Amino acid sequence: MLPAVELRGIVKRFANVLANDHASLSVLPGEVHALLGENGAGKSTLMQVLYGSYHADGGEILLDGSPVHFANQRAAIHAGIGMIHQDFMLVRPFTVAENVVLGLDGELQLYEEKRGILDLAGASRRIEELSTHHGLQVDAGARIEHLPVGVQQRVEILKLLYRNARILILDEPTAVLTPQETAKLLETLRSLAAEGRSIIIVTHKLHEIIEVADRVTIMRDGKTVATVAKEDTTEAELARLMVGRDVLLRVRKSPLKRGATLLTTQGLKVNDDRGEEAVSGIDLSVNAGEIVGIAGVDGNGQSQLVEALAGLRPVMGGQISMEGTDITHGTPACRKACGIAYVPADRRGVGSVGTLSIEDNSVLCNLGAFTGKFGVFRDRARSRSHARDLVARFGVKAPDIRFPAGKLSGGNLQKMILGREIMQQPKLLIVEQPTRGLDVGAIEGVWAELLKVRDSGQGILLVSAELEEIRNLADRILVIFEGRFMGELRPEDADDETIGLMMAGRSGKTRTMTHV
Amino acid sequence: MFNLFERRLAPLDSPSVVIASTLGSIVLALAIGAFLFIPFGTNPLLAYFSLFESSLGSLRGFGMTLNRAAPLILVALGTCVAWRAGFGFLGFEGCMTIGAAAAAWFALVGVSEDGQGILLPALLFWPAMLAVAFAAGGIWAGSVGVLRTRYGGNEVLISLMMNYVAIFLVQYLVSGPMRASGSLPQTDRFPTESWLATIIPGTRAHAGILIAVGAAFLVWLLISRMRVGFELVVTGLSPLAARYSGIDVGRRYLLAAVGAGGLGALAGLVEVLGTQHRLMDGLSGGLGFIGIVVALLAKLNPLLIVPVALLYAALSVGADALQRSTGVPSSIIFILQSLIVLFVMASDFIRYWRPRLPRFGAAIVQEER
Amino acid sequence: MFDDFAFSAFVVTWLAAGIRLAGPLLLAALGEIYAERSGVLNVGIEGTILLGALGAYLVTYATGSPWLGVFGAVAAGVISNLFLAWMYVTVMANQVVVGVVFNIFALGLASYFYRIVLGTSGNPELIPMIGSISIPGLSDLPILGPILFSQSALFYVSIVIVLIAEFVLLRTRFGLNVRAVGENPRAAANAGISVVGIRYICVLLSGAGAGAAGGYLVLAQIGLFRDTMVVGQGFIALAIVIFGRWRPIYAALAAFAFGATDALQLSLQLFSFDVAPQLLLSLPYVFTVIAVSGLIGKTAQPAALMEPYRDR
Repeated sequence: MLPAVELRGIVKRFANVLANDHASLSVLPGEVHALLGENGAGKSTLMQVLYGSYHADGGEILLDGSPVHFANQRAAIHAGIGMIHQDFMLVRPFTVAENVVLGLDGELQLYEEKRGILDLAGASRRIEELSTHHGLQVDAGARIEHLPVGVQQRVEILKLLYRNARILILDEPTAVLTPQETAKLLETLRSLAAEGRSIIIVTHKLHEIIEVADRVTIMRDGKTVATVAKEDTTEAELARLMVGRDVLLRVRKSPLKRGATLLTTQGLKVNDDRGEEAVSGIDLSVNAGEIVGIAGVDGNGQSQLVEALAGLRPVMGGQISMEGTDITHGTPACRKACGIAYVPADRRGVGSVGTLSIEDNSVLCNLGAFTGKFGVFRDRARSRSHARDLVARFGVKAPDIRFPAGKLSGGNLQKMILGREIMQQPKLLIVEQPTRGLDVGAIEGVWAELLKVRDSGQGILLVSAELEEIRNLADRILVIFEGRFMGELRPEDADDETIGLMMAGRSGKTRTMTHV
Repeated sequence: MFNLFERRLAPLDSPSVVIASTLGSIVLALAIGAFLFIPFGTNPLLAYFSLFESSLGSLRGFGMTLNRAAPLILVALGTCVAWRAGFGFLGFEGCMTIGAAAAAWFALVGVSEDGQGILLPALLFWPAMLAVAFAAGGIWAGSVGVLRTRYGGNEVLISLMMNYVAIFLVQYLVSGPMRASGSLPQTDRFPTESWLATIIPGTRAHAGILIAVGAAFLVWLLISRMRVGFELVVTGLSPLAARYSGIDVGRRYLLAAVGAGGLGALAGLVEVLGTQHRLMDGLSGGLGFIGIVVALLAKLNPLLIVPVALLYAALSVGADALQRSTGVPSSIIFILQSLIVLFVMASDFIRYWRPRLPRFGAAIVQEER
Repeated sequence: MFDDFAFSAFVVTWLAAGIRLAGPLLLAALGEIYAERSGVLNVGIEGTILLGALGAYLVTYATGSPWLGVFGAVAAGVISNLFLAWMYVTVMANQVVVGVVFNIFALGLASYFYRIVLGTSGNPELIPMIGSISIPGLSDLPILGPILFSQSALFYVSIVIVLIAEFVLLRTRFGLNVRAVGENPRAAANAGISVVGIRYICVLLSGAGAGAAGGYLVLAQIGLFRDTMVVGQGFIALAIVIFGRWRPIYAALAAFAFGATDALQLSLQLFSFDVAPQLLLSLPYVFTVIAVSGLIGKTAQPAALMEPYRDR
């Protein structure tokens, strides 16, 4: 069978990396093809080349056997290619219908419109038809910003179906979905493939591939290392191909030595940026010497919760106390004074200042400790030696401490931020998505550091969307859904089904644990 | 254009490229400016020569250049303080006006009953004078800061509008409450004790330049040596990171606003006590914007601001002389001064884009196959 | 205080003048709405208005036709904003900085060319203006007639443009593309829209609007050119855009409100009230400060405003 799409020897260079190094991929009509690889392996770049967002520096693209060249996304859309990005490409204040018809003018026009005047009523009708036909319920008149993520993804799929795309690219489509929503999505994708469309799923999650894909192409360091049929492989083999060595699956944890209670919250309520309640009455406690993990699909209030704990977001109700002191309305500086340190999920936007040097970033959260006698002038000698210690102790790879933090790789930047917070010797460390976007080596490093902090008797509150991470590190697991805890689990009880149901909003078999 | 140029993999950002593009922009702007002389039958080279001759070639001219540079330096320093903290303040015309009014008020109130001499001893008078003007400008600009931090107002537009409010306010003052007897809307002449002293005998150069250079040193100290200056810079680069690291972002904006307003007001003080010796309408004459341009060309570096301001002051003093001698309108100086900065910004294009060459990439791939 | 007749005479003069003064603000604001809706804050409209005024004056001076003058104003606005668009969109320079510096440049350029063409000495010559049109029937209405239906022909054109601008922005493909580019340029690009192209067009539209505003000043209000004639009208137009929530129709209402504030000073003087004229003159600016201070409710601006877009 002639492949519906074929990429041959694609080369794509960025400033300091070779993102695609002669990568090749061929997808048959009616096939679900998985593109597997770690973060930074070059999967997204390859797909952006196929979608016309990037121009390849070499190689060629063939559709149904004939070479094509896409000057931009428009050309790719015209050729029947559709892409759903990891962060959805929807205009939030627009309605579903407006988003679906966006850009369908000129040669992309599908239905007649008089002189460029929008026909949203007609579009809505066609969207309703499509959504009933494919079992993807949406209200065409609803605004995107009022829709939950799962529905937004349906809109993205409808967008492609409306354009009648033959080749559907989905970049990490399940990152923001519960296990149950994921299952539903994969089912939809199978039925779309059965209609003869080609589906490319970009992912780093092995078990999804096993569930849905016909064939898998594995990328590593910008190269496509292998393409295998699903029947001929195992999860372990795929993992080895992806990482290039055997993956570490378990960490060694010393026995729990739970100390005194550090942080407690009672009935905590926090709003999100739009003023809607994101955290609805949360009771939480973290003790010294333990790691408390908060699991949950992104966007269920966990970010607002930690921001409130760090003093970055006003508390609308309830109480936060640290070692018995009420800090509910304290500033970020007051939280630091109480011994709370925080490693934010957004490393580049919040955790560091990209244009400043490593030295300046290393003192960012603790300026008072690096000033002269009267606290007016900075003590650069001390901050320099501090930065050198930090770089050496946490293995941050950088030419020197004057190097701008923004030019560090994700893993090295995370080491710097984590190291900076750990070196302040906090009593409680709050870490949010600590390994998101890092490669396996860096993940191991971060995990080891977190366990060291735990073993030295400090408390950790770990928020992560990665179940693997929570299960490996946490001593207790709390599952958050729509701003409430659905229950508490011990890591050994947290199997996929139990935790998945809780993440989807059904309170599971809660086992209350008694602790000191 | 999109076919002729392609984006560089990494921008050219070595210091030499930045310096070369800045110098190139100055030369290019002056070259284009040369055409502006032609309709007036003036040889451009001679015009430029006489332009710099009259502003830098004689002690007298140099004195005038120093006087013109002083307010420019102060406004540019204000820009540096505000913009480095991420506070997009554009209200220096207003701050100058307010500062001048405050200085005029203090100079006039400070006079003794008989109109001879000032009430305070000089040792107290000058610090008090500087403090009064700085405070007036600080409060004026600080109110913009409050609107921004408390109510989320748009500081760019508010500060632009406040310029006009300040100008009308001073127009009102000199035509009403502070008006001297006489036909012109202006105040009485200040007592000579409140004039800025002449620092170079035989010229008009007054102590304003000393205030400006002193301020430049202090702002440099603030930005690159002091903790609070570092906090300002972090706030400007990333308010989110600043808040996360425990910096009170709102207070830093406010501090930047007050500092910028105070420096702008000092520029007004220098103008009114150094040059005009009385308060009248139309004092700032665009200096509040040219000062911003100076700061931009100096890349918001407090120490670089001094030489850049001297260059701009020399251009403008020279152009005034040229208008008197040849009739070339001095407004060409606005063209030159703004073109330089526009070219510097446009030269980023070359730092980020390069001319598109024939695609060798494809050929290489062919060979390898 | 005053009797009915004097009061209605006052109101008529005041509001008629208010609408006359609102014209340029409105045209400049309409263009700016398109620029901002596409994500570009064009502070350079202040200078563009001045160049438009110069263009209108010079063309009318040379040809004797004020309608050709309108064309000259729009042309001057579009050409000068081609440079601004390049700086904003291609060079991706800081939009506020470019705008502010451009305003200084425009001021220099306008007064330079004005001097060149008309010589250094002598009074500026008056040029023919675009006359008022009294709409038969309607202009005879009491109060409303003289306020609304005896205005300059340019005023009626502006009103038509408001309606067109509103319709295009909200009901057409192009308007949808503009709004998408200003809210989420990456999403727009991924839907096949040329972000760069849309932004260029919108900046040029704002140039046309600001240029026309300058033409309005010269051809329907003053009849001559001065390099000090714009004094912040472009900045007020920026405030009108915010006040009008980025919608042409609301902006029109805001422009009339601003025009009326400005006219209050003229009318009160005409009716010899004893208020310091400088304080009244500052009213529109004070009004603007209050409007954008955030004290009276904030509105969501286009999400990508002032953010340069990098493709590839």
